[in-house]
Order: sequence, then C-alpha cells, then structure tokens
Amino acid sequence: MGISRLFIANRGEIAVRIIRAAKSLGIESVIGVSSADTGSLGARIADRCVVLGPPDAARSYLSEKLIVQAAVATGCDAIHPGYGFLSERPALALLCEEHDIAFVGPRPGTIEALGDKLSARKIAEAAGVPLVPGTTALASVEEACAAAATIGYPVVIKATAGGGGRGMFLADDAATLRKLFNKAAEEARNAFGNGSLYIERFVRSARHVEVQVFGDGEGKVIHFGERDCSVQRRYQKLIEEAPCTILPAEIRKQLHAAALKLTADLHYRNAGTVEFLYDIDRREFYFIEVNARIQVEHPVSELTSRRDIVAMQLLLAGGNPLALEQHDIVLHGHGLECRINAEDPANDFHPCPGRISRWDMPDGDFIRVDTFCERDTVVPPYYDSMIAKLIVYGNDRGEALERMMSALGRLRIDGIKTNIALQRFLVGHPDFAANAITTGWLERTGLPAYLSKHNSTRE
Amino acid sequence: MKEPTADDIKTLIENFEGSQWKELSLQVGDFRIFLSRDPNCIVPGWLKESQPAGQHGGAPRGETGASQVTRSVGQPLQETVAAPAAAATEADIPAGAVAVRAPNLGIFYRAPKPGAPPYVAAGDQVEPDTEVCLIEVMKLFTPVTAGVRGEVVNICIEDGEMVEHGQALFHIKPKA
Repeated sequence: MGISRLFIANRGEIAVRIIRAAKSLGIESVIGVSSADTGSLGARIADRCVVLGPPDAARSYLSEKLIVQAAVATGCDAIHPGYGFLSERPALALLCEEHDIAFVGPRPGTIEALGDKLSARKIAEAAGVPLVPGTTALASVEEACAAAATIGYPVVIKATAGGGGRGMFLADDAATLRKLFNKAAEEARNAFGNGSLYIERFVRSARHVEVQVFGDGEGKVIHFGERDCSVQRRYQKLIEEAPCTILPAEIRKQLHAAALKLTADLHYRNAGTVEFLYDIDRREFYFIEVNARIQVEHPVSELTSRRDIVAMQLLLAGGNPLALEQHDIVLHGHGLECRINAEDPANDFHPCPGRISRWDMPDGDFIRVDTFCERDTVVPPYYDSMIAKLIVYGNDRGEALERMMSALGRLRIDGIKTNIALQRFLVGHPDFAANAITTGWLERTGLPAYLSKHNSTRE
Repeated sequence: MKEPTADDIKTLIENFEGSQWKELSLQVGDFRIFLSRDPNCIVPGWLKESQPAGQHGGAPRGETGASQVTRSVGQPLQETVAAPAAAATEADIPAGAVAVRAPNLGIFYRAPKPGAPPYVAAGDQVEPDTEVCLIEVMKLFTPVTAGVRGEVVNICIEDGEMVEHGQALFHIKPKA
C-alpha cells in the first residue's frame, strides 16, 4: 500500500511543494524537468532529476508521452501533475492508467467531463447547482425581451458561436435590449458566420468564491471550506484568502453543500475545486467550473484546516482510503496569500525574468513562503511569472492582514522587477481592509489608484 | 554444484544473445541471474530485495551490452546530479570529436529491431544523414542522425538505456 516512488511532472514552487510532501511520507521523488530547469530547487531536492527535453514546454512539460516514458524508465509508480501543464489533460491520466501508474488526481473520464464547459454545466444542472440564469438560442427579439423580464436586468447578449468576450453586449433595460439585439446578431454573423444569440444575467457586483473538495473516488467527498479570490486581473488571481468573510452563514452552508453534491455525484477522486460566482447584491451564487487538480491557492485552506492536502493526495493515490470525515475538518482563523510575480505592474505587467541578486524572505510565526527561488536563482523566460506565494495565518481577517502587511514590508527581492509594491498597496487599501471589493475592483479601482500613486512618487 | 565461473556467465550471455529468447531467469544454488531484452520488463521480486554490492543506481550493465536489467521500483535511485547528464560527460569527449546528443528523453536503441545488427559501430564512417540510433518514447521510435560527416569513435550509451535530453550518445571525429 502506498506510493514508493513518485514522478513530479511539473516545475516551480508546486514541484518543490510536492517533493516536500513526498519526503514527509517517505516517498522517493523523481522530477522531470526541461533543460532550462536543471539547476532549479526542485531538481536539487528531488532524489533524482531527469531532463525531458528543451525549454519549449511542448517538448518537455507538455508532452504526456515523454513524462510517462520517463516515469516508467525511472521505476516510478505514481505521477503528480501539479497545476497547469498536463494536470487537466485526460490524455496524461489515461496514459498513466495504461501503464499501471497511479495518477495523482481524478479519473480521466472525470477530467474530460469537467474540462468541457457545456458538459460541466450539464453536470452542475443535474446536481441542482445553480448556474447563471440564462437562455438557450433565441429566435427573436420578442423572445429575448420576454426571457430578460424573467431573468432580470442587466443582461448580457452573447453569440452562441462566440467566445473570449467577443460579440458581447450589455443591456440595462428592455429598450436597450431591443436596440442592441439586431446589432449583436449582425456582428455575430459577421464574426462567427452564425447570428444565433442567447442572453444571460449580468452580475455587476460579484465575488469569486470557490470550495476546496477532496473525494475518495467512491462517492465520499469532504470539503475544506471556501476561498475568496476576487482580487483578479484578466482572470489571473493575485490575492486569495479563506474564508470568504462576507458570505452570510446560510449561503456558505448552501455553497459547501452544492460543491459536495456536484462532486459526490461524479464519485470525484482526489483534490478539486468548485468555483462559483457570488452575486453580492442578490446574495446568490452560480457555478463557474471545477478545477480538477490541486490549485495554486491551496495553502490558505491548509492553514485554516491544518491539513496537508498534497500529502492527502499522495496517500489516496497510493491506495490508502480517505480516513477523514467532514467533522474532522475543523476550520479556524484566516488564511491570506499574495502571489509574488516576476512582472512589472507599472509596465502593463510585463514579465521580468532574470537573475535574482537579493532574496530576503520574511521570517516569523504564522508566515509560510512557497517558492522555488533563492538568491542567484535565474527565473527563466519560458514559463509563468509566479516566483513565490507569501501566505500568512491570523486568528481573524484583520490579524491576517496585519501580518501580511508586516511580511510584505520585510520581503525584498532585487535583480528582477516584481509586484511586491503593488501587493503592499492592495493589502493596505481601505477597500480591501473593509472587504468591499468585487472581481472588477482591481482593474477598475485598485490598479488605477496604484499607478497614479506610483507615477506621482516617481516624479 | 559449484558456483558458475566468469566464463560460464559470459557463455550464458552469449547464448542468450544468440537466441530468440526475450527473458532468461536462472538459479544455480545461491547464484541467480536475470537477463531481458525488454528495458521495460518486470523485474523478479528477488532482484528488488537483494542488491548486489557496488551496483548503486541504474541498470547493471552486461559486458556485451545486449542484455540489460532495467531500473525498477525498489531499486535505489542514482544520486541526484545537479548538472544535467549532458554536462557531466562533456569532459569525456575525445579531442577533436563532437557529440551526437539525445533530442529528448527516451530509450536508446542501437539497432532498428531487437537482434538486428546495430546501425553503427566504433570505427564506422557516417554521413550527416546516417541514422545512428533510435530513441523510443512510448512505442514511438524516432531515428537520430549523425548530423556530421566523420568516424564514430565512441558509443556512450548501452543499448536499451534511458537517455536524457542533451545527453551524448556518440562521439564522432568529423572529417572534411
């Protein structure tokens, strides 16, 4: 019983995190890296490091065949995919099954069903989990107006063939909807060759709230409470925390129950996250998607639950039954995480790879830093820009914020540009302290305020 | 019965190589030997438990190079090498020679199929487009070409071993 040798198919801080969890369980670790990462911390602390291919991720981290070949050839009996890269590709999970290697994650069928947006929506619907109220394809503007009256304004008009924000129109009332409907159809025809439209409720003031779940693959699923990740830029999270303190207790219960129902129906296996949009004004939540993997922000849930979720992943994948019950997960206090990225917020978040000449991490109780960097680390230009996660714990949100401010004040990285100053500004912002933000806050308010301050102090 | 001699083992390996057998497992008294042509073979339990002294990490290498026992679960791992394998062998390149390197991680095969003569041997003349070996990734066999005109002076890897990206496979002395 249990994994004896684990292959880590990832890089960066999550590779280090997984290797540490493996070591804590006495599991040997083999990491597969690209030639850009042979000197990385993960490559050095693993029991063995093999070079898969060149820096180009398509020929290294994104090749499931190379990964499984490397795992087989090094005698590994399990593969942890981390997040990103191949973590949500059914092909890797499938190839693992074919070679009798335990995939540390959900079954390939689950990944596939949740990876497709339409199929995931159907699963949520069948589980009775609320979706953003909306229609299917509409035949006429009259039909649209009738539907909007039921859904409630504002509504967003979308092309059924569209995506990525193109061909979307916002209507605050029936008159605007009438005016925009034909224009939207025209534009959809031109852009996608299909003028078919549908409408959806537009959530003006939303929070991104997500529930960390863990399933045994046989129908038992437990949760670790929710996280709030509303500080986002272009759907990239910058700050995450647990719990979401603005949720009314009754809504929180419903949210957890919805996440459990959806994943229990699937006999979900291993760690996952059910993401929701929370409509602050209506006090309703809607299903977004399921991330069928470990997430970047899992540490805030680990702090509030005092559970090692990555170690739990390895134990379950090794064939150990999920020994915990829901009542074993006792949530306390507040976890807060700031992503530290090698990018320049003053220059449209341009990535700033390079050699780190100074690396002073804040030391102290209730502070955790998940990273793969240290002094003299070269941040390669080929991959994402996150270099560290600064995570603090407090008995309540206020204490966590204070500790984060203090920790950010002592964090010092030289040699490359980072977003530390921005994070300090955001955590210290009165709106954030008052927890009066939305998913649009960073782009509409936080960032412009930071940039104007930044520019004025430079002059 | 007395312990087999080195000559006995050599003869055994030669016979195995000359045969159509995929695997051979033999026990004589306390002496046990396991030979396989398949680098992904299932290693017998006794091999996992007892490690012959001085064989830390990697496959025990047959004298002739045709028969290998693969790394497998339970065998100790090689010490982590901070530098990639490619860098470690850099110093070994004979003066005036260049290395043919692995394009990616995979299993190295010297011959187009098991039992067939190898693509090249030491002393052979090669052209830039001469195929010198196969690299296997999940049953997909990709030929590697010499990339240079010259004479093969060294074969760095045993047949059936795993190679990493950038690892030297052959040393070739270029000729004009």
